[in-house]
Amino acid sequence: MALVYRDSFEQLQAEVGRMFEAAFGSPTGWTGAVYPPVDVFDAGDAFVLKAEVPGVEPEKLDVSVEAETVTLRGERAFADPSEGAAFHRRERDQGQFRRVVRLPALVASDEARAEYKNGVLTVRIPKAKEAQPRRLTVQAG
Amino acid sequence: MSSSELEARPKQKVEREEPTRTGPYFQPAVDIFETKDAIVLVADMPGVPPDALEVNVDGDQLVVEGRVRPDEYQGLKPLHVEYGVGGFYRRFTLGKAINRDTIEAQLKHGVLVLKLPKAEHARQRKIEVKAA
Repeated sequence: MALVYRDSFEQLQAEVGRMFEAAFGSPTGWTGAVYPPVDVFDAGDAFVLKAEVPGVEPEKLDVSVEAETVTLRGERAFADPSEGAAFHRRERDQGQFRRVVRLPALVASDEARAEYKNGVLTVRIPKAKEAQPRRLTVQAG
Repeated sequence: MSSSELEARPKQKVEREEPTRTGPYFQPAVDIFETKDAIVLVADMPGVPPDALEVNVDGDQLVVEGRVRPDEYQGLKPLHVEYGVGGFYRRFTLGKAINRDTIEAQLKHGVLVLKLPKAEHARQRKIEVKAA
């Protein structure tokens, strides 16, 4: 097998692509899912949830964490064209959304923080002590 | 579904002839509308910072390209995936002559708004219809 050099971001992209295809059959194999689509990552001591919500004004974005459940709420407003404009294409949707995501382990919800940058929402939720990876010391007998 | 409720649409992956960078590229969703003196393109490019965005007009070809920041994903292992991570790329053929010197681009919250002013000779003119 040939070895191909990939940096860590390329590895992540490839892994995300594989998981997407495993979950949805093909790169374009799903429709009508709940908005917004989210990716959840493991960062060792925390879970990182990312959602692409371009064009949402930060004040229209609401994130809450309760127990292991993250709720995203918001509204995407319409880019209002000037009067008398004629549409050639219209692919971007507008409207409200509410999305509930359940995390796979206990979290320290009161230490969660959210950041919105370039249209991507990132929520970092530290794992509860019980759910954090622990390294055990092996005792020699 | 009520008309105001958002529904997710999958990002469409694009195959590029010879990209200089590896990793997937997706097709940004766009609105395109035409006003009296400009063509306006609005594109969703979440995760693309202004310094990783490129807009090129070559003849009647408009190319929009953006990349996401790898450092946003440092140390992360995917657990659950609903969308792919990658850049955005889309090419358009402009139906009208554009004045390339006065193109305005604005990127805010992951949305690119591109104002392409029509060249003087391509602007809309009102034509008087004479009654016979």
